[in-house]
This record gives sequence, C-alpha cells and structure tokens, in this order.
Amino acid sequence: MTTATTTRHAAGVTDAVKVYGSGDTAVRALDGVSVGFPAGRFTAIMGPSGSGKSTLMHCAAGLDTLTSGAAYIGDTELGTLDDRRLTLLRRDRIGFVFQAFNLVPTLTVAENISLPMDLAGSKGSRDWIDALVDVVGLRDRLHHRPSELSGGQQQRVAVARAFAGRPDVVFADEPTGNLDSRSGGEVLNLLGRAVRQMDRTVVMVTHDPVAAAHADEVVFLADGRLVDRMQSPTADKVLDRMKAFDGKGAPS
Amino acid sequence: MNASVRISVSSLRAHKRRFAGTFLAVLLGVAFLAGTLVMGDTLRAGFDTMFGNATKGTDAVVRSADTITTPGESQGVRRPVSTDLVKTIERTPGVAAAAPDIQGAGQLVGSGGKPIGGQGPPTLAGNWIEDPQLNAYRLAEGRAPSKSGEVVVNKGAAKKGDLQIGDTTILRTPDPVKVTIVGLATFGGEDGMAQVTFTGMTQADAEKYLTAKPGEAASIRVRAGPGVGQQQLVSDLTAVLPKGVEAVTGQESAQENTDMISSQFLTIFTTFLLVFSGIALLVATFSIHNTFAIVVAQRTRENALLRALGASRRQVTVSTLVEASAVAVTASAAGLAGGIGIAAGLQALFPAIGFPFPEGDLVISGLSMLLPLAVGVVVCLGSALLPAVRAGRTAPLAALRETAVDQSGASRGRAIVGGGLAALAVGTTLTGVLANPSLWLAGLGAVLALVAFVVLGPVASSTAVRILGGPLDRLRGVTGGLARRNALRSPKRTAATASALMIGVAVVSLFTVFGASLKATMDQTVSRSFAGDVAVSTPSFGAGGSGLSPKLAPAIARQPSVENAVGLGRGVAEVDGEGRALTVTDPVTLGKVFDLGDVQGSLDDLGTNGIAITRKEADKQHLRVGDTARLAFTDGKKESFTVRAVYGQSELAGDYVITRAAWAPHRIQDSDTLVAVSFKHGVSTADGKAAVRKVAEQYGNPEVQTRDAYAQSSAGGIDMMLTLVYALLALAVLIALLGIANTLTLAIHERTRELGLLRAVGQTRAQLRAMVRWESVLVAAFGTAGGLALGAFLGWVLVKASDGASDSAFAFAVPPAQLVVVALVGLAAGALAGLRPARRAARLDVLRAIATE
Repeated sequence: MTTATTTRHAAGVTDAVKVYGSGDTAVRALDGVSVGFPAGRFTAIMGPSGSGKSTLMHCAAGLDTLTSGAAYIGDTELGTLDDRRLTLLRRDRIGFVFQAFNLVPTLTVAENISLPMDLAGSKGSRDWIDALVDVVGLRDRLHHRPSELSGGQQQRVAVARAFAGRPDVVFADEPTGNLDSRSGGEVLNLLGRAVRQMDRTVVMVTHDPVAAAHADEVVFLADGRLVDRMQSPTADKVLDRMKAFDGKGAPS
Repeated sequence: MNASVRISVSSLRAHKRRFAGTFLAVLLGVAFLAGTLVMGDTLRAGFDTMFGNATKGTDAVVRSADTITTPGESQGVRRPVSTDLVKTIERTPGVAAAAPDIQGAGQLVGSGGKPIGGQGPPTLAGNWIEDPQLNAYRLAEGRAPSKSGEVVVNKGAAKKGDLQIGDTTILRTPDPVKVTIVGLATFGGEDGMAQVTFTGMTQADAEKYLTAKPGEAASIRVRAGPGVGQQQLVSDLTAVLPKGVEAVTGQESAQENTDMISSQFLTIFTTFLLVFSGIALLVATFSIHNTFAIVVAQRTRENALLRALGASRRQVTVSTLVEASAVAVTASAAGLAGGIGIAAGLQALFPAIGFPFPEGDLVISGLSMLLPLAVGVVVCLGSALLPAVRAGRTAPLAALRETAVDQSGASRGRAIVGGGLAALAVGTTLTGVLANPSLWLAGLGAVLALVAFVVLGPVASSTAVRILGGPLDRLRGVTGGLARRNALRSPKRTAATASALMIGVAVVSLFTVFGASLKATMDQTVSRSFAGDVAVSTPSFGAGGSGLSPKLAPAIARQPSVENAVGLGRGVAEVDGEGRALTVTDPVTLGKVFDLGDVQGSLDDLGTNGIAITRKEADKQHLRVGDTARLAFTDGKKESFTVRAVYGQSELAGDYVITRAAWAPHRIQDSDTLVAVSFKHGVSTADGKAAVRKVAEQYGNPEVQTRDAYAQSSAGGIDMMLTLVYALLALAVLIALLGIANTLTLAIHERTRELGLLRAVGQTRAQLRAMVRWESVLVAAFGTAGGLALGAFLGWVLVKASDGASDSAFAFAVPPAQLVVVALVGLAAGALAGLRPARRAARLDVLRAIATE
C-alpha cells in the first residue's frame, strides 16, 4: 500500500501473517497485511466470510498473536509483550465491544462500565464517565443488572465501558450483529459521535455495508490480504465494492 | 447397544474430568469402609489363631463360678480358687497334669527407669507354669525362673523397655519387687498378646506378691491324658469339684479370651472406624449429588434436544442413571481394592511401629467385599437419583432457551419446611436435654438439627455469603466483589457444596467442644473435691498399670512436712445384690483431704462393719444412716455393714467407702489408685512436693503432681482421643474439598465466555485466579460457619444429655482457641480446594473463551 500519511496511527499491523494449523491443513488467515488505523478516525474492516477480518482485529487488539509480522498499539509492539503485559495493555489502552456477551452478569451497569478501571485499581475520571453515561443515555439504568436490559441497551453499556478508560483505540467486533436496525443504528451513532465529538479512535469489524457507512474509511480484506481502501463510504458504494468480490475477485 | 446406554457412555467419555471428583469421593469412602472391615476381620482371626496356639495344651480350666461385675466394667472380678484343688484334680482319672495360674497386675520398669506400658492394655504378672504345654507363654530364650526374684518376661515388653537377659529391674506389684530377667517368652508365636506385658515369676513369688494370701490362684489349668477329650475331662472334673467352682474346656476358655479382646478392643476399634467411614460417605453423598445436579443442569439443552428428537423421559433418566452406575461401580471397585491395600499396608506397618499385628493372611470375607461395594453403589446412585429424574423432566422447549444454568434461589416452601424442622429440632432437643432428660430424644433432636441445617442451607446461603464476603469488597476490590457475587449466583449450589464441608466441620467442632467440656468437667471435679496439695498417681488408663503400693500413703504421712496423706484403693462387692466399686481407704483422713460435701453421720468410726455412702446412691438404694446393707465379696463371704455416714460429693472419693480393715479379709491384690497429700501449714508446695517425691522414689517412682497438674493430666487421654478423631475426620474434610473443587470446575466451565470477556477487558491471570480462589474460600467459609454453629450446638446437646443421663455433673465449655483453629483450617481448606480450578480457569485461551457457544 502506498497510503503513506503523516497522520499518527493509534494501532496497526505490518506484514501480518497468521497461520492456523500446520502441514496440509494449514490455513493462512492473514497473508502479509500491512495497515494502520489513524488516531481520531473511525475505520471499518470489511470483507466476505473467511477473509481474515476478525483475525486481523484480534491480532491488532492483542487478543491473538501473529505468526509473523508485527502489531502495534501506538508505538508498542505487541509481539514483545508477555501475557501479563498484554493484559495490562488491553486493560489500559484498548476498549472492546463484542457482538454479544459483553457484560458480566453479576455486575450492575455502573460496575460493568467501570470494570477495566476497577481491575486496574484506578478511579478513572468521574466527569468523563458521567458524560459517557449521558451520551449512551443509560442514567436511569445504572443500578440494573444486564439481564434486565434489552439487547440494544446492553450494547450501549458495552460502548460506554469501551470508552470509559479513554483508551488509545476501541475495537468493535460486529457490534450490531445481534441487534435490530434501530438499536444497531443507535450503537453506530454512538461510536461515530465518540470519534467525531470526543476525538476517540474506533476500529470496527463488520459485514454490514450500512454499518460500514458510519465509518470515515473502510478497508477491504479478501483471502487474508488487504485489497482496497475507501474514504467517506456510503452504504451503496460499499455494497457495490463488496459485490465485486463475488464476481472475479480482488483488483490489486 | 441400548440408546440410553450409548448416550451415557459417550457422555462419560466426553466429560471424564467432571466425574473425577465424584469418582474420588466414592473411592475414598469405600476404601475406608473396606479397609476397616478387612482389618477388623484380619485382627479377629489373628487373635483367634494366637489364643488357639497359646492355649492348645490346656484342655480344661478350673475356676470359681461367680463373678462380680461393676457398672462400666466389661470384665467381672472372679474370686480365686484354692491351690489345694490341684492335688484333687491331679488324682482325677484322665488328668495328665494340672497347674495353678496365678495372675495379677505387675508393671515392669524399663532400663531407662520408665514404666513399660500402662496406657491401655493390661500389664500382667503371674506364675511361670513349669509344664510347657499348660503355659500359654513359650520360653524363647534363656531359662525358666528357678528361685525367688527371677522372672521371664515376654519379648515385646523386653524390647519396649530395652531389657535383656541378666538385667535387674523393678516390678511394681504395686510394691516394688527387685527382679532379674532370666528368660524371654513368646505368646502364640508372637512377641506378646498384643500390647499386653507379662512377667512370669516363681509360684512362691507369685503367691507372695500377687495374691492377698498364699494358696490362691485365679484358675487351675488342666491337661488331659491320652485319649481323653476336653468334654470328657470337664465332666470328670465337675464331679470332683466343690460347690462354686466350675470347669470349662480349654477351647471355651480360649474363646472367652478372644471374645474379651474383641469386645474390649476390636469391636470398639472397628465400630469407631465404621462411624467415621459413615461420616465420610455422608459427606461424599452431598458432593456427588451436587456434581450430578450441576451436570444435569448444564446438559439441559442436550437433554431437551434428545427429548425433542423423541427420547422418552425414561430414556433420559435412565441414561443419567447408567452414567452414575458406571462411575459408582468403577469407583467402588477401585475403593475396595484400595481398602484391601490399606489393610495390607497397616498389617505391614503396625509391627514396624511396635504394635504386634497377629500374623496370618488378610481375611477378606464375603461381607467385607459386598458391603463396601453395595454401599458405594447405593450412595452414588442414590445421590444421582433426583438429578436423573429432573433430567427426564426436561421440556423439549428448553433446547431453544439461552441459559442452562440453575440460578434458582431458595423457595418459600423450603424456608417454611426448614424453619419448621429447625423449630422441631430445638424443641425435641430442649425437651430431651432439659425437661425430660433422655439420650434418645436428644439424639433425635441432634439428627433433626442436622437435617434442618441442610434444608435451610440455600435459604441462608445468600445472606451468609453476603455477610461473610462483606469485607472482601473492601479488601480485594473488584476481584473480591466478583468472587462474592459468583458465590451468590446459585444459592442452592453454594449451599449444597458447603453442606459437605459443614458436616465435616460440625463433627470436628462437636468433638472439640465435647472434649473441652470433659476436660473442664475433670478440672472442676478435682478442684471441687480435692482439698490436698499434691497427688501421687501412676499415669495410666485402661486396664494398664499396677497402681500404687498401699504402703506409700503411710510412708508419706510420716514425713514431717506432711499434714495428711491418704491412699485410695479399689475393691468390689455386691451391695444388696448389685455389683459396686468400693473405695478402700482411711475414712478419717479421707474427709480431711477431700471435700465430701455435706456429711450426715460420721466417717470417724466405720470400723470393720461400717460403710459410708454418697447421698445419690443412698437415695437410690433407700438407705439412711443407721440402716444395714448386705455386702457380698468375691470370696463368697456375705457380711452386713451398717451405714455410718451419708456424704454429698462423690467424684474422686467414689460412692461407697469402707476401711482397709473391713476389706482386708476379702482383698485380692492390694493397690491404691491415688494418694492425696496435704502439707502442714507454712510448707511451700515445692518443698513438700520434693519430700513426697523422695518417698515415692522408693516405691517404683510414681508421678507426684500439684493439684493443677493432676487435674490437667487426668484429661490427658482426651487429647489423645481428639487427635485420633481429627485424623479420621481429615478424610471427610478431604472429600468435602473435592466437592468444592469439583463444583468450581463445573462452574468455570459454565462461565467460560464470561471469563474470556473479563480477560479481554483486562483482568490479569493473577486476578482471575484470585477471583476463583476467593469464591472457593467464601463457600468454605459458609460451610465452616454453619459447621461451627451446628457442632457447638450438638456439643452442647451431647454434654447436657450426658449430664442428665449420668450421675456426675458435666461442665460445658467452648474452647475459643481450638474453634478458631477449626475455622482457619476450614478457610485454608477452601483456598486449597480453589487452587486447581483457579489454575485451570487462568489457562483459558481468551479468544476461545469468547467464541465458546
């Protein structure tokens, strides 16, 4: 890729290769991907099933390790970190929103939001969390248990938790995959507002063109390779680009 | 293969680990049970062989027909027979040989100056019977005693006291007798009759030191001539024997000896072990039930799918039961093998620690094979029955539901039933303890209390864990808070897991409280009725020891620093037809050194036909000062005694007091059990004690203790007993721990995704481990707290019930230090149980955990 920019990258990978299994059954989930996720931007990773988009996110977020190549959070190379440091890095510098099961069922909404800070034993910023609670609109639900919330509300709590510690980057893995379109829209709006109004960085994996349209930029993956990037996407443009994969494959 | 069976087999194969805890619990319980049974049978058979060998040459035993048995003693006192009978017997046709068997207590002093034995098994002395076939002991080394002062001792005793042929030592009979060892003997091929020590003297010495007057023997052993059967010999002898003397066959006598050992030692020993294996199995029941309940709950979706696909309720239930049976049978079989291994190990170990275990192969009876197997299978299947039925009831629709974890709390019905049971338990117990003292009612109440605790467990668990875990939030932050909430998730499961530990801890605390109460009782007894300054006694219990020389008390009394010294001897007689223990002493001094409470009449002038009785016994027998009581002694003589005094307190002094002069004509072997000494005014305890010790040294060196030390040493046996009980209960606690570990492992399996999430958002492995460990500690804390409460209550019931049922007053004491130790051990056990599940949880792969369905 030649999109060399002077923008600071919140996260990224270079020459990332991830191989699952070995010998005849080996699968190259990532096959030499280099990509940077600029700070203060909302990036969507798209691609058909099996393209390696989830693997890319897991490796960039320190949940999984690369077979070769390097992954960075800011200037920190993840490959040099042991499990403990990787955990502390996730706790202090990364936020997560998963597709489902984002919340610890025994903790209240408020406790779930402050969980990473509580694990770190730090107080965090009261004002910041207060503002977040208002942004996600859950002030009246703070002392409820996750089981008492709807799926959309649960995901909004997850978003609040992801941003609570003001991490360098928030990774979202199909955050709207289990939601109806209205709830999904709310969650995506939240992510967008966090980036644009609060200057946060979000990397989101999705297969939904409508979701991808909320991003500032979309990177396309196919067969473990980075095949395209699109600035200021719209749902239609993304859909068209995706349709091209079904046809003759990726233009390089 | 049947579909149900196929499903269970594949499920077992897939989830081997889940059943590891169940397997171990059954295995341990069954092994304990089987080991106890096999060891009991083997010991019994060993003693049979030993006595058979030892008394092979004795065809008949001649002895007096009557015994006097006092309450609390299993073995009666038999009056001696005259040695003159030997001549009569020898003249009887069919008799080849006859020899008197003189028996008494004789404790050897070892080469280091310490007495040998005395802590339980008898320390015997007797005449060395010249006829080798009539003598139960065989000369193994050296020679038989030929002149006064020469003795043969059994090899075991010699080994223990480090004595060799040629050594000179002291034999306490209880008067110290200087003896030289000239020979070593074996009994039935062993170094001794279990731990019993034996010293064989010349007949003249035996008559002189072991009997009250010469010419008396405990029995006469008879050997038949060729062609005369034992039965024949007995009927021939019966014809020539005087009234009151009987002959029994050698076989019968050997059987009686074996039975005596069985009833005194083996039966108590095995019953004791069986009770504890029962406790272990009860604890196992809870663990196993819990495992199956959780497994069935986790498999709700799977079972629902089976039901949706057309499996009948019965098929689902049966497949769970088949799974349980497979675990039950393999674990029980392994336990049986383990039990036999334990018995074999003990058989090898006992001789190594100086306890002669009778030789012979292990005796594995059908019962000791079948019973443990059956118990193991029944316990396992019984525990799995309810969960299996619940599995069968799974609705097909449950396959579509999200969660499969039982989070139900306690139902209102449970609270009501439990509350009712608890009220009933308290009511029954209080009635049995206070209103209408009855051990049965109290026992029923205790069992009801246990049931109520188990039923109420889930009701109490939420509140209890919330309170116990309160400090955790502050101490351990979010990790502690998460642990506490995890423990609160399924109150039923937490309660069931904790119940197993609760029972173990309850029994431990019960014994701790009861032991402390017994000690307090003894302390109270001594401090209340012992008015002296020092006590001289031989530290022994059971049938061991030989007591104190009756000459010791007068010798101490002659010391210038001593005000009063009184020796207490023991005698037996039938008082108005009932066997009773008598205290033989100097009643005048007795009243000065012991506080006898309120005395009616006077102890000053009992003479040879006066008796003093406690108020309690006097009331029972309707005797008053001036009344006449009929005493029948072991020598067959009956005499009338006048009640001269009725006194209030008995504890140390005994219930019936007569003078030495009154006892002398009927005495057997003379010995005192205690000499109580009070010093003259102004004599320091240290000086007085030194003076008494100097005298005691000349009488076989018995222990001289101050009043406090005496009170404490009286309780020495209790500590030993408690140690044994704790060791046996360790198994039950271990099984409870396995249960906690197993439940946690299963819970972690359920929470895989949640753990993955926690790790993803930044919980370190150390934090995760701590979280699991603290949950374990909390569950253990709940069980321990419940166990302590239940155990203290049951201890109180036991003490009060014993108080009501027995004559002596029992004190109730709660030992805070020991109970704190029990609590800490419970908590530490919880932390230990959590170690492995915590390690496994921490090894979870974050990504996999998130992706888990």
